[in-house]
Amino acid sequence: MDLTLLLQSIVTGVTNGFIYGLVGLGLAAIFRGTRIINAMQGDFALIGGIAAVLLLEKLAWPVWAAFFAAVFVGGAAGWLMELLLVRPLRRRGGSEESYLLLTLGVAFAVSALVLYVVGRDSHALPGIGGDGIVVVGDVAIRIHALWLVSIAVAVMLALRVFFGKTALGLSMMAAALDAEGALTTGIDVPLMRTLTFALGGLVGGLAGVLVGPLVTVYFDMGLLLTLKGFAAAILGGLANPMGAVVGGVTLGLLESLAIVMVSSGYKDVVAMAILIVIMIAMPNGLLGRRLRKGG
Amino acid sequence: MSRNFIRRSSRVLLWALVSVGAAGAAAQQADGPPIKVGAVLSLTGPGAGLGGPERNGIQLAEKRINERGGIRGRPLRIIIEDDGSKADIAKSKAEALIHGEKVVALLGPSLTASTGAVATVTHSLGMPQLCMTGLGPVIESSYKSLFHMLPPQPLNARAMLEYIGKGLKAKKLGVLHDSGYGQLVMTHIQNLHKEYGVEIVATEKFEVGATDVSTQAAKVRAASPDVVGVIATSPVPFRNARQMRITQPIVSAVGSSSYEYVKGMGDFADEIVFAEFIVSEDPLPHQKEFVELFQKEKGSLPKTYDAAGWDAVHVLAQALEKAGPDAGSEAIAAAIRASRYRGVVAQYNFSAADMTGIELESYTYSKLIKGRYTRLPFKAGK
Repeated sequence: MDLTLLLQSIVTGVTNGFIYGLVGLGLAAIFRGTRIINAMQGDFALIGGIAAVLLLEKLAWPVWAAFFAAVFVGGAAGWLMELLLVRPLRRRGGSEESYLLLTLGVAFAVSALVLYVVGRDSHALPGIGGDGIVVVGDVAIRIHALWLVSIAVAVMLALRVFFGKTALGLSMMAAALDAEGALTTGIDVPLMRTLTFALGGLVGGLAGVLVGPLVTVYFDMGLLLTLKGFAAAILGGLANPMGAVVGGVTLGLLESLAIVMVSSGYKDVVAMAILIVIMIAMPNGLLGRRLRKGG
Repeated sequence: MSRNFIRRSSRVLLWALVSVGAAGAAAQQADGPPIKVGAVLSLTGPGAGLGGPERNGIQLAEKRINERGGIRGRPLRIIIEDDGSKADIAKSKAEALIHGEKVVALLGPSLTASTGAVATVTHSLGMPQLCMTGLGPVIESSYKSLFHMLPPQPLNARAMLEYIGKGLKAKKLGVLHDSGYGQLVMTHIQNLHKEYGVEIVATEKFEVGATDVSTQAAKVRAASPDVVGVIATSPVPFRNARQMRITQPIVSAVGSSSYEYVKGMGDFADEIVFAEFIVSEDPLPHQKEFVELFQKEKGSLPKTYDAAGWDAVHVLAQALEKAGPDAGSEAIAAAIRASRYRGVVAQYNFSAADMTGIELESYTYSKLIKGRYTRLPFKAGK
């Protein structure tokens, strides 16, 4: 096999893997803090991405300002989601399935709203470092992809420190694991849950501005990203943000190598078959078992 | 004096009333019961990129025909339904329009599978159906009231190969295509490429809606083709092909040519050739009126699918004018079959075996240069 093609497929697979991982990171963060599987995580990315598009195209903001603002729009969407929809459902004793249905419904509503307001056009966001590429050997690496990988790793490490070392992160974890116990220690459990969703929204918004230059932003991108992110998070271990990235990169690499080594027509079949084998062998995900030690 | 004044005033008033009445009649010549026509289009779902433009063209034609007095003095009323890009919904919407609204003809659907589903209904009734697809499964050839506003996929494949083989004189072709529209065209490229002395050195497929096809693009590049065909209903493969440093000419098909995709391509919307039918930046004489009207009404430039909607309504209007709106389904279908129509898309001949009669010579070739379509001098079939 052509070595250059193999290396190129690895680079592409890792890049795609970090895209899946970024969405999975947000999913894992929300699951860790609320025990809710958020089916609209990809739509937080859509909200962030479309906010960046509007700020750049309609208001002509500088790229960096638009990107920062878009990330916070994602965070605000998460905040509002918890406050206006998740909290009332919790008050009425919503089950795990009802949260899944709620977030899935909101995902469709967000997609329809973007279609109605912005239209069906795809929008290409400018990449960090433009559309430039670095050529190593004969392998092309997009400069923006390098930024995406670096930022995703930084976010993953920051979340690890946040949930493991900071008082706020530990409070959010406590609120998720034992709400009544957390209340007795003075933790404001409802606020922690709202903050968890805001954090998930922030990570989702960040995913939106980072994937926008690679895959373009369009109204129904959210659900596809959620599905890939969900697969990444499950593969890595849903309660572990680091697992989401490891799972995402594994999935991205499997897809990419399946194209080169087997056939592009069987990409999903090969990747998903290997995922099934992994999940049977390691039902808690790639990093799931280690996380639970002592927990 | 006062009697004269009253007389003069009465005359002025009478003249004014007559003038206002005449003006009203001129502005609204079409009256009487409306002629109801149904349209089933993909306005949501994966086919929305086709159905949306088709609706634009249909509505513009309806407005234009009614402004010009309708058909035999009666206004045209087109009832548009969304099939959600699903064949079963298309069929039930068509049945509701036929039996509930009592339409005299159907326009659409936008997708091949939906066209086949609706055609089983219209065929049994002999009702004219002007669909926005090319000839699909073989059984469609036996449906005598089904007419196609777009060319069959073998012709789209041939139009691409004409430019690749004769225009570029390329010998080695690599193709990047999706599993929907791209697969349909690719099947015929595989049947026809030898006629043009073209060898296919790489074929890479990806699913419709894929967000990244860089690895497939890298695989096509590794095969060192002279030219790369990209056939998809998305801007993603065009971006990825250039990002993976495919510097060879890219040739694409009519279904990939849309302003929406050009926007999504961003800076990569450059040096891409399309075998299509309308270059609105530089329209042919018979396309000018439509392009100008479309731009005035919609504020944007039309492409092939907008024009197909416009043409379908005009073909039907011509048949209704000839046969009469109340002549019955079979007489209207017979009038369409007998008609030759110089449309915006192409010269139609609905008695042809493929029920459209579009010829290779109707294709026009455009090249995207920095996000703008430019007409190429190349002519197919020469």
